[in-house]
Amino acid sequence: MDTFVIQLLGGLSKGMILFVLASGLSLIFGVMRVINFAHGSLYMLGAFLAATVGAQFLGMGPSGFFLMLLLVPLIVALVGIVMETTLFRRIYTKEHLLQLLLTYGLTLLLSDVVRMIWGGEYRTLRQPDFLRGGFEIVGRKFPIYGLFVLIIGPLLALGLWYLLNRTRWGRIIRAAVANPDMVSALGINVRLVMTGVFALGCFLAGLGGALVAGQSAVGLGMDVNIIVEAFAVVVVGGLGSFGGALLGALLIGIILSFGILVWPGGAQLLPFAAMALVLIARPWGLLGRPER
Amino acid sequence: MQTLRTIPAWTWGLLAAVALAGLSFVLGEFQLILASQMLIAGLFAMSLNIIMGFGGMVHFGHAAFYGLGAYTVAILAKNYNIPLWVALPLAPVVSAALGAVVGWFCVRRVRLYFSILTLAFGQILYVIVLSVAADFTGGDNGIHGIPVPEIISSARNYYLFTLLIFTLCFVALFIITKAPFVLTLRAIRENAERAQFIGVDVRRHQLTTFIIGSFFAGIAGGLMAILNRFVGPDMLFWTTSSEPILGSLMGGMFSLTGPAVGAALLLGLHLFISQYTEFWPTVLGILTIIVVLAAPTGLVGLTDDLPRAARSAE
Repeated sequence: MDTFVIQLLGGLSKGMILFVLASGLSLIFGVMRVINFAHGSLYMLGAFLAATVGAQFLGMGPSGFFLMLLLVPLIVALVGIVMETTLFRRIYTKEHLLQLLLTYGLTLLLSDVVRMIWGGEYRTLRQPDFLRGGFEIVGRKFPIYGLFVLIIGPLLALGLWYLLNRTRWGRIIRAAVANPDMVSALGINVRLVMTGVFALGCFLAGLGGALVAGQSAVGLGMDVNIIVEAFAVVVVGGLGSFGGALLGALLIGIILSFGILVWPGGAQLLPFAAMALVLIARPWGLLGRPER
Repeated sequence: MQTLRTIPAWTWGLLAAVALAGLSFVLGEFQLILASQMLIAGLFAMSLNIIMGFGGMVHFGHAAFYGLGAYTVAILAKNYNIPLWVALPLAPVVSAALGAVVGWFCVRRVRLYFSILTLAFGQILYVIVLSVAADFTGGDNGIHGIPVPEIISSARNYYLFTLLIFTLCFVALFIITKAPFVLTLRAIRENAERAQFIGVDVRRHQLTTFIIGSFFAGIAGGLMAILNRFVGPDMLFWTTSSEPILGSLMGGMFSLTGPAVGAALLLGLHLFISQYTEFWPTVLGILTIIVVLAAPTGLVGLTDDLPRAARSAE
């Protein structure tokens, strides 16, 4: 029973990080119809930034840490805005091979830039004092940082849900998903909406990276590994579906967490198996809708 | 040009093969190894492009079938002491057999969904080789010291051997691309729905293409295993699938030779650039972005170029 609870908490915590990352990926796909390989690179960029500048903020206590969690994703979002306005904008109407290859080219470029700046060594972000250590639950220890991620995730999901469903901005975004031409005809600058959505998606990638830096080692190669897991999440939940990203992330997180317990050698396989299974049986995902 | 046109294609092919064979007497050991790598990368790219260029299916898991070929050779030769002359021909058989299974599912999805499904299957096979079957595959360490018969152990002889296999594969692929089968495939690529309406079994054609591509990827992987005397799980990782895709993109997706030339050139460029900087991925990334953005009408516009492409392929 205690093992079950600990694995469940661990899985949910891993799932929350995946959700932060995948919700950005799904949002960008929903509006622009582009699958962005470089999303994992932005996550890695966020992680490296957090591991480097994070130490400067530690002296400021909890507020410093939250400031860092805001600042790092903002920098990543800025990089995203540059990418969107110079490159992505040109390929929205192109064939998906060209879209995939452009974002793959960016993946190569960004990971090399990270290597140029930070080198190949692993880094860690020292956890702030108020998040260090563990607490007892069902007679076992669970890291406080994991609990912190477990709280941040749902709050963020709630915030994003509110933004998308209860604000003017959200209405415009949802309208742009449904019919960009009509939105444009109504006098809304769709280009600006797209840049905004892209920036928001990249912000989320950066936030995911900044969050994970406090939890595990940051190193090269995390971009290409996490992106395929994020793909698994959005595919299982439904491409472009926000609720699907949450469901998919929690499912994949739990699958991974329990998989390691039951089948250590094959746990890594499970997200991809789930992804393939969903694509075969229900390509629009658990919560998505079939494409028009 | 008109006089050149009258010379049949096989004459050009023969001339090229003889010239490439002649190179073996000019090049040093290092260049011969590079030349062998180029031939293998070329074969790998051609095998992908049968699926992607001719079949119009963007395959992001092709590395898995390349890696399976390599591991087939490595496991049989190293772990079971089976002679290479038996192990190498089995590589494409294993790749094609798994290609049939994976392809059966994948051709039921179109466009982007096809691409991510191939990506998922590729990663499944990668994890199997990396950890599930680690007892056979050596896991993260891969398999070192694959025994190679005396006769092809020198760089020159192995280059000639690779060239021979490459030529045979090229001829086979050339014949395939001239068959009515590929014309039907083109029709599917341009408009699958219309092809279906005139009675073409779209999925069967796509599956056959998938299997053919997997078959030749297996040969390329097997050759690479012998060249390096080493195989590692990264050969199956999804980023390896991008190599033949980029080669095809650079060389031209709508011809048989284009991808081979493109892949070989990328390999040469990698080596050349590496003399000056360690940041090859930056160069490749920028190059990719430029090619994608400069592709005039994108690949959708290929319908306009098709008659010309078809003519020049003859």
